[in-house]
Amino acid sequence: MLELKHGFKIDADRCDGRMNCMRACPVHAIRVKNGKARLISELCIDCGSCLAVCPTGAISATTITFAELDRFKFKVAVASPALFSQFGMKDSPAQVGRALLDLGFDAVWEYAVDIELIDRAIMDCVKSWPGPFPLISNSCPVIVRLIQVAYPSMVDQLIPVEAPREIAGRELKRRYSQELGMKPEEIAAIYITPCQAKTISILQPAEGAKSYLDGAVGISQVYNDILTKMRKITSAGDTPKGLVSSGELLHWGSPEGEFPKLSREHYLPLTGLTDVIKVFDDIEKGKIRNIEFLECHACPGGCIGGNLTVENLYVARSKNLHLRADMPNPGPSFEKEVERRYAAEDFSLRSPVKPRRIEGEVVDLRERVNRKKRADELLKALPLLNCGLCGAPTCKNHAEDVAAGRTEIGDCVFLSLHRIDVLRTYYKK
Amino acid sequence: MAAELLRESFEIQGRNYDKAGEVSGEIKVMLRDLGIEAASLRRLVIVAFEAEMNVVMYARRGTMTLILTDEDVNLEVRDEGPGIPDIELAFREGYSTASDEMREMGFGFGMGLSNMKKNSDELTVESEVGKGTQVFAKIKLNSNA
Repeated sequence: MLELKHGFKIDADRCDGRMNCMRACPVHAIRVKNGKARLISELCIDCGSCLAVCPTGAISATTITFAELDRFKFKVAVASPALFSQFGMKDSPAQVGRALLDLGFDAVWEYAVDIELIDRAIMDCVKSWPGPFPLISNSCPVIVRLIQVAYPSMVDQLIPVEAPREIAGRELKRRYSQELGMKPEEIAAIYITPCQAKTISILQPAEGAKSYLDGAVGISQVYNDILTKMRKITSAGDTPKGLVSSGELLHWGSPEGEFPKLSREHYLPLTGLTDVIKVFDDIEKGKIRNIEFLECHACPGGCIGGNLTVENLYVARSKNLHLRADMPNPGPSFEKEVERRYAAEDFSLRSPVKPRRIEGEVVDLRERVNRKKRADELLKALPLLNCGLCGAPTCKNHAEDVAAGRTEIGDCVFLSLHRIDVLRTYYKK
Repeated sequence: MAAELLRESFEIQGRNYDKAGEVSGEIKVMLRDLGIEAASLRRLVIVAFEAEMNVVMYARRGTMTLILTDEDVNLEVRDEGPGIPDIELAFREGYSTASDEMREMGFGFGMGLSNMKKNSDELTVESEVGKGTQVFAKIKLNSNA
């Protein structure tokens, strides 16, 4: 089996085993044994809930560093629209773009075009889709992985259209390699990301194809530098032109939904994993019948609430609304570029997304049923308190782990009192 | 003969729209955790939900029994309800005896039984007016699951 990669790592030396991550994980993919947190890779959907709650900072996003970018001859930043909502009300997207150039990027990509292209591709796909409905957006990597792991019967409903960041990566490599006479691999396409999940979609896309992007830099990683550079700029000259030439860019990733043109009767924007899961449960039963397209973001508030953003979600949201209100209508050159590229490029997803096999070891159905029965029996002896002291987030998880032979039932303090003394050796100050 | 691996029964409360769908939800999670492959799981969830809704809409109470074998998943639903006078008619798409109240809640479009038939490999309905209805559905498992 292919080794699954994730957008973050747990540093065992810094881990104090305090279990905040284990309790926060929505898919119960973390165990804390011998005072150290450990990830069950096949269950993890890269939502990043664990990153924010670690009291010792042992969990960090695997974004790339600027030193790693030196191997490229030409570095292009593709900035998530969320980036522009992170600064003061008076800081314009053009100034933020200028600061990115000062930071060492050779160009800042005009991402609004790609977003408009994917908007169109999605709307066309929804119109001609034969079913099953609703189609589900795939730009949030966590949503894609949630479906692969927990809603395998819904993988065919993930919209077969590439994410705009991928389309941007493909086009910028094509264009700059032509203009500068370089090989595409000498050009870096770097996404400035609001979350660690986009990193994993670059390292290991869920559909198995190779990403067009070369890495991601977290917004929080460059925030201070951008702020410093912006404050130093006195003249407005030499700002990247056309960086945000259309309000379309700023709809993307905002909590009000990315498709203002779609009718709300058949289109539902959702944010926050808990709410997304509720709606997915209803879809799976066939309870939601008249919705054609669901736009889903794992982070509450959408991408501007991502775990690598800096600004408070509500402040960022008001900045986003403010920017959108000030945005002029896209000019004729923007429209022309969109028309040209829409006719010239293919936006369909390169290969379909498949469910992830959850059982790491291959055991047959009979053995899986036996394990379930054993787990049900074992659970009767457990207190159902979900105290977590055994190292599993719930008593049910502990019973399942024991049934699968991954751990001992006696790790439960209710069954073996001496367990407390063992734990004391790990947690004694 | 397929060997039975697992049998579990669930109670369904009639007229309780608030809890409607919980039994099929529970069955789905159980089978998903058992690693039943996606295509069969999808069909089973639809059949289970429609069957559960029929009990909720028309009956006082009912039970849904899940029987998993190494070849297929079976659902047995028995309810204490009004029964179906004309089963053939009930299978017709669009035929519905749902009340306005049920329709307002988004149910009772007359697709239930035909939807169940479409999504199962075997479906039999037995009913006695005034006593209740029994539904039996079989969904074959993909052999490479």
